[in-house]
Order: sequence, then structure tokens, then C-alpha cells
Amino acid sequence: MKRLLSTTALIAMATATTASAETLRIGLATAQTGGLAPYDAPVIEGVHIAVDEINATGGIGGTTPIELVERDVRSDPAQTSIAAQELVDDGVSVLVLPCDADPALAAIGIVAAAQVPAISTCASSPTLPLIGGDYMFANFPGDNVQATVSAEWAWGEGMKTGYILYSPDTQYTTMPLYFAEVFEKLGGQMLGEDTYSIGQQDFSAITTRIAALSPQPDVVMTSAYEPDFPSFLKALRAAGVTSQVIGSDGIDSPTTFSLGDAAEGVVFSTAGHATPGSPLEAFNAKYEEVMGHPTETVFNAVGYDLIKVIEAAALAAGSTEPQALRDAIADLENVQGATSMITYKGTDGMPVRQVSLIRVKGGERELVGQPSPTADLVPAARMQ
Amino acid sequence: MTPLLTSSSLQVRYGPVEAVRGVDFEIGEGEIVAFLGANGAGKSSTLNALVGLVPVAGGKVAFAGKDITDAPAETLAPAGITLVPEGRRVFGTLSVADNLKMGVYAIRDKERIAAAWDRVYSLFPILFERREQFAGTLSGGQQQMLAIGRALMCEPRLLLLDEPSLGLAPKIVDQVFELMETLRRQGVTLGVVEQNVARSLEIADRVYVLAGGRIATQGSAAELATSGQVQNVYLGGE
Amino acid sequence: MEILLQQTVNAFALGGTYALLALGLAIVFSIMGLINFAHGELMTIGGYVLMYCGLAGLPFALTVGLAILSTTLAAMLMERIAFRPVRNASGATMLITSFAVSMILQVLFQNFISVRSQPVLLPQLLSDSVRVGGFIIGVNKLLAIAATVVMLVFLDWFMKHQKTGIAMRAAAEDFAVARLMGIRANSVIAGAFALSGLLAGVAAVLWVSQRASVDPLMGFTPVLKAFIAAILGGLGSLRGAVAGGFALGFIEIYLAAFLPAAWQEFRDPIGLGIVVGVLLLRPNGLIPAASLKAQKV
Repeated sequence: MKRLLSTTALIAMATATTASAETLRIGLATAQTGGLAPYDAPVIEGVHIAVDEINATGGIGGTTPIELVERDVRSDPAQTSIAAQELVDDGVSVLVLPCDADPALAAIGIVAAAQVPAISTCASSPTLPLIGGDYMFANFPGDNVQATVSAEWAWGEGMKTGYILYSPDTQYTTMPLYFAEVFEKLGGQMLGEDTYSIGQQDFSAITTRIAALSPQPDVVMTSAYEPDFPSFLKALRAAGVTSQVIGSDGIDSPTTFSLGDAAEGVVFSTAGHATPGSPLEAFNAKYEEVMGHPTETVFNAVGYDLIKVIEAAALAAGSTEPQALRDAIADLENVQGATSMITYKGTDGMPVRQVSLIRVKGGERELVGQPSPTADLVPAARMQ
Repeated sequence: MTPLLTSSSLQVRYGPVEAVRGVDFEIGEGEIVAFLGANGAGKSSTLNALVGLVPVAGGKVAFAGKDITDAPAETLAPAGITLVPEGRRVFGTLSVADNLKMGVYAIRDKERIAAAWDRVYSLFPILFERREQFAGTLSGGQQQMLAIGRALMCEPRLLLLDEPSLGLAPKIVDQVFELMETLRRQGVTLGVVEQNVARSLEIADRVYVLAGGRIATQGSAAELATSGQVQNVYLGGE
Repeated sequence: MEILLQQTVNAFALGGTYALLALGLAIVFSIMGLINFAHGELMTIGGYVLMYCGLAGLPFALTVGLAILSTTLAAMLMERIAFRPVRNASGATMLITSFAVSMILQVLFQNFISVRSQPVLLPQLLSDSVRVGGFIIGVNKLLAIAATVVMLVFLDWFMKHQKTGIAMRAAAEDFAVARLMGIRANSVIAGAFALSGLLAGVAAVLWVSQRASVDPLMGFTPVLKAFIAAILGGLGSLRGAVAGGFALGFIEIYLAAFLPAAWQEFRDPIGLGIVVGVLLLRPNGLIPAASLKAQKV
């Protein structure tokens, strides 16, 4: 009996030693090529910067270094689920999934069965954790939250009539439907809506129709992104429509700021803004130091945030065990990321994060505000 | 006298099928040589192999003392051989004049080109009349004239004709055979694959009769016309 | 009425761009039976040249010239490196080769330029519009129509009156006989690729001037549209490609303009449905290729 006890004690001791020398293995099943690469690739750059920073200090809490296991899923949902399975079999503690809800959801079955927490790099559809279940987390201000902030701003600026352009192709591109819902709730009137297909290229028929409206809408809202947004905007202005245009984080890219007169005055919601002295400004400086060129997109900082969230969860859990990490993430409050404070506690996996409204002015970004949405106005997640 | 064209043990294969199983023949300068034989005897394959339209599987072909066995098709017109393919194959969507223009594609010498136009238009006044018309709208006979005219544009030393009288009205067939004799008088050497045995024997100097991808009989046209050997081959005898 | 006119101008501008794209595919297909799916990547190359020249501050006219030159050379290189070795292979082999070329180029763009979309600086003029009578036309629409007319007139002249152009038509109809005439396969095919590259360059300028950015996967949509237009018009027929391009442009614009709001979501399937309907009535396309007819007789 004594002998048995001592063996158990030995095992316990051994386990404890390995735990302290343990590494946190994070599986990255993200798109380094294909259609989602423009979003995932910058996020992963930010991930690397954060991991290198943490490992330079000896790891999380100075004891647990992070190891990244990377797979390119080529923007393909089937490939995403294969990569997720491989990484889970490989024993990772956390999975990072692509930016778009659809490929991220392709891995749901694996995530749920293996009970490993998964975070999408930058998907913003509030339906993602809703469909994905307890183990699926987002890492970006939700579409419904962004739309509420935009609609409240437009209403506050005295705009009374609106028009939306959306695409049923993805969850993200249906954000204008949330906008219309909030705008009408506030008392605004929608003059109409149009749909487009992603990659449509030509918007002349739609903009001609908007130009023919009398009176013209005060505000035109869309969550179209490149290449659709510049095409739409240029066609809209060429057709003579001068209404306020509101976009979303998808157009937070250099192209938007190089469109000249066409983009002047466009306002869009995004994940952060580098005000002087802000963590984002510090991150951007660090990015330039590490990469040798200035950051082109806030998605770099969003990647940094993702690791900060995992770091905070690992510290809170005191473990690298997946189940404990999941519970810790779901309970996180006010984690300081590069873009904003991040809270998961009390949500369904969609983080509460600050939304910044940016105006394009003379080819530069100008902060309109970082308002908090009125909670009652935020629409429920919509299944498209 | 060295022959203008010599073929030794020429073979043509289409996958596992041996269409031509080693034929030897010669075409002398200034001759009309006819290739006769039943369908599938290998006549057209032989001509196509000479001009590089189908690859030579074995054997050798020499033209004017040079080895042309593996020469690509496009090099043979400038070298002096052209083929008028079976079924005429004029460029239907091109005008008659553009079809002829393609015949001199490989020639740069302006004087030679001008002479070629004169020669072909005087041989075929109908082509001059219809020069603006799409070749596809010509009658069968006119298309055959165009196909031959197009081949003559580059002033070949050796003109090969694959079934030139096939599918034409009797009156036009007469014209085609007359034309071959005219061309020979003008110094063009002719190699002709024909199904019209009687007419071929009348105009040819020498004849090769093919069967099963081999040469079954050969000789001067006059000899073969009287011996009845040609008919034997057609009937399956030897 | 005014709206109808305005939408018709839109349809001509879009249809013209599609026509140039479809012609680029059709010229190569008519001669070597290859549907070059890497045609879109030629456009992407043109787009990147526009981007780099814009960053270097070159005048726009020179930039456009360089972009078109680059796509023409790239098309000829593509033929020399990728397609010449498989020239006599089956249609399927050539098709797969073109997919491979397309994917390899996409990955090269992603790895050596950027996965992210890059802005292309364009003169302000291209975003402006002019007022003609009662309605407003964007300058880039007018340019698209003008460029289409110029290219179609040039191609018509080239194919009808230039020896090389006539030889291409001859080769498209009967390659074997064309070679018998001494028309060299290499030069005709290289010529066809050069022309298709030229068309891709012009189309790239029009395409990029609309979207103001270039990304590694930019070529996918245009080549898809070109393929649909070329099939609709009659694969391998140059007139068919032009007709198919304009038809597709009109279908897309008129549906977007006049379909009831509740049906707008189904615009693309309805548009493709119309294309399929046309093909059921005319299986060889609006204006079938001559070589197709010849085979049937």
C-alpha cells in the first residue's frame, strides 16, 4: 500500500513538472492562399508578432511558451475541416480558423467532438458562435454591432432616408440588413435595397437606378468590400449620386484611401483606430519595427489581439488543457488588446469590442468616434 | 537521271494500325505518276506522309537530293512540294483571292508573287471573276480549281493531287485531267492519287498500284493498261 | 425612356468589355483548340503593371501602353513555355495545363507581390462623368465603348487585310492545309497569343479602371464571363465572341435594371438560364465557328 502511494506521488510529481515546462500548442488552420488570404494572412502576421513577444519573455506567465502549428487551408471549407482534424489529432489546445464564417463552420463538427476551443481570425458574423456552439469564438466586433453603431451615427447626423446594397453570398455581406433594421427602428425610412454578387464588377445598372430616385437617399449603406466596393462607389459617384456612403471594416484597406474624390467623406466602421498614445499606435510601431514596412490594415492588430485573448485565458485557467481554456475564454473580461478592450463574459462567443467610425478625408483616415452601441438597438443574429 | 522524289521503305502507322507497310517508289522530273488502288490501300496516307501531314513511322523520303523524311509540313511548300488535299479543303470563310494569297504565304519575292497571280488567273479565269467571293460559296468544280490554283501559287516543282476528280461532274472531271496534262507541259511534275483508273492510265507515265499498304504492281501506264493487272488488284487478286 | 437609354449605354460599355475578353479566348481557341483559363491572369499582370507604373508616377497614357505591352509579351511567353510542349496533346491536357498556369501565377502573385489587394492610382478623369442631353454618362463608360470600337475595327482590319491575320483565319479553319501552304504553325500560334494578350491588356485597363485595385485572384471573374460569352456566341468564332460578349452585357445590365426587386436576388441564375435557353435553341452558339460547320457536312 505504501509502495503504491509513493508511486502515485511520483506520477503526480512528474505530471506537475511537465505541466510547468509545458508549451501551449495553437493550431492555425487558416487561409494563406486563395480568396480569404487577404484577410487571414495579415491576421497571422499579427499572431506571430504577439507569439514572439510572449515567448521572448519565457512564454505565458514567463513559463509556458507558445508553439504554433500551421496549415494552409487554401480558403477551401473541405480543406479547413481536414486541417482542423489533423491539428486536433496532433493534440493542439486551441484552433484558429479562417476569417469567413463558412469555412470556419466547416470545422464545427471536429471542434465540438474534440472539445477544443476554436477562434475565427476575423469573421464578424454573429451567427458564427451561434451555429458553432460552445467551442466556437469570434475575434471581431459583430456585424450587428457595427451596423448599429453606423445607423445610430447616421440618424444622429440628421439623415432620414436610407438605401442599402447587400449580397446574399456570405453572412458578412448581409450586414446592411442589420443597418436597415436599426435605422428604421430609430425612425428612418428605407427608400429601397439592391443585391449584388461578390465579384460582380459592374454596378452601373444599380447606380443608375439609385440616381433615378427622387428624392435621393440621405445615406447609402453597404458592406461590400474590394473589389466590389470601389466599383460600386465609383459608379455611384459617376452617376451623380452625392448621398453619404457608409461602409464596414472590409473596406479598411489602402484602396479606399487612394480612390480620390470618389471616396471623399465615406464613413466606415472598423475594429480600431490608432489615436495618439493608444495601444494600437504602439502595436503599429512594433509592426513596422518587426516587418520593416508600415501596417496596411487593422487585421494585423486583430491577430495580435487573438493571441492576447488566448494568453489571458491560459493565465486564468492555469492550464493548457482545451476544456479549461474554453471555459476561461468564455469568462474573459476586459482583456487589453491592441485595438480595444475585449470581453467574452456574458456573450455567446461574440466578443464585446470597441467599434471605431472612420471618415475618409483627403485620402487620410479621420476618426469620427468610437461610440458604444445602445444595447437595446442591437439586432438579434439573423440566419441568412 | 536522278528522280525528283524517292521513297524507300516508307511506313505510316495510326496507333496499332499499319496503313503503309514499307513502299518504295520514285517520281521523275516531268513525269505524271499515278497511285491507284482500292479504298484503304494506303494511297492517301502515302501522300500525306510525303508532305509531313502524318508522321513517317519508318523509311526515308528524299526530294531533289535532300532528305525530307521528318521535315515539318510548313517547310515543304517553300522547298517546292505542295499537296492538293482530298476533298479540296479550300478556306471557305476566306475570299477566293485570300485563298490564293495563302498559297504564296511563304514567298517573299514580289516579282515571283506577281507572276504567280498572272499564271493562276490565266489558267483559271473563273477564279479572277469570283476573286471577291467567299470560297465556300463556289461550286465543287470551282473549289477544285481554287484548291489546285492555291497549290500552284508557290510554283511547286512537284504537285501532289489527292483524288482531284472525286465527286465532280463528268464535264469538270474532263477539265481536271486536261489541266494535269497542261501542267505537265509547263514543266510541273505530278503525283496523283485517283480512283478513276481508266482516265489515270490515259494521262500517267507510270503507275503504282497499292494494296494493303504495299505496292502490288508497278509499271508504265501503257503496259498496265493492256495487261489487266490493275483490274486484278482491284478484284483482290495478285 | 431616359432610364432605358442610360441603361443601354451601361450595357454597351459592359458588353464591349466582355466582347474584348471573349475575343481573347476565341482567337486562341479557334487556332489551337485551347480554352486558355490563364487569360484572366494576363489581365492581372496588366493590373500589376498599372499599379507599379502608377506608384512610379508615370503618365497614365504611358502606363496604359506599358500594361498592354506587358500582357502581350506575357501571353507570348505563356505560349512558348507552357502551351507549346502540349500543342499536339488532347484538348483535356491543354485545358488542365491552362488551369495549372493560372494557379501557378496566382500563387506567385500572392507570394511575391501581396495576398492583399493593391490600390491602383488612376487619373481623376476616369471617375468623372459628363452630361449629354438629359443624362449622365461616366467617363470610364465612354472610354470602354471607345476602346471596344477601336479594338474591334483594328481586329477586323487585321484579320481581313493583313497577311498574318488572313493566315490566322485560314489556320483556324483548317490548320493542316494552312501548314501545307507554308504557314508556320509556331508563328501563327504565337501571333494568336499576342493578339489575345493585346486584348487582355485593353480589357485589363478597362476592368481595373472600374475597380481601382488589383489582387492575385482578380482574373477569375473576367475569364469566367469571357468563357460564358464565347460559348454563347459560338466557341471559336470571332464574330460569335463579339456577339456573345454584347449579349451577355445586355442580359446582365437589363436584368439588374428591370427585374422586379423581389427577383433581384436571383439575377445571376436567371441570366445564366437565358444563356442556357439560347444554347438549347442554338447549340453551336449565336454565330457558330466555320470549322464546326465544316466538320458536320
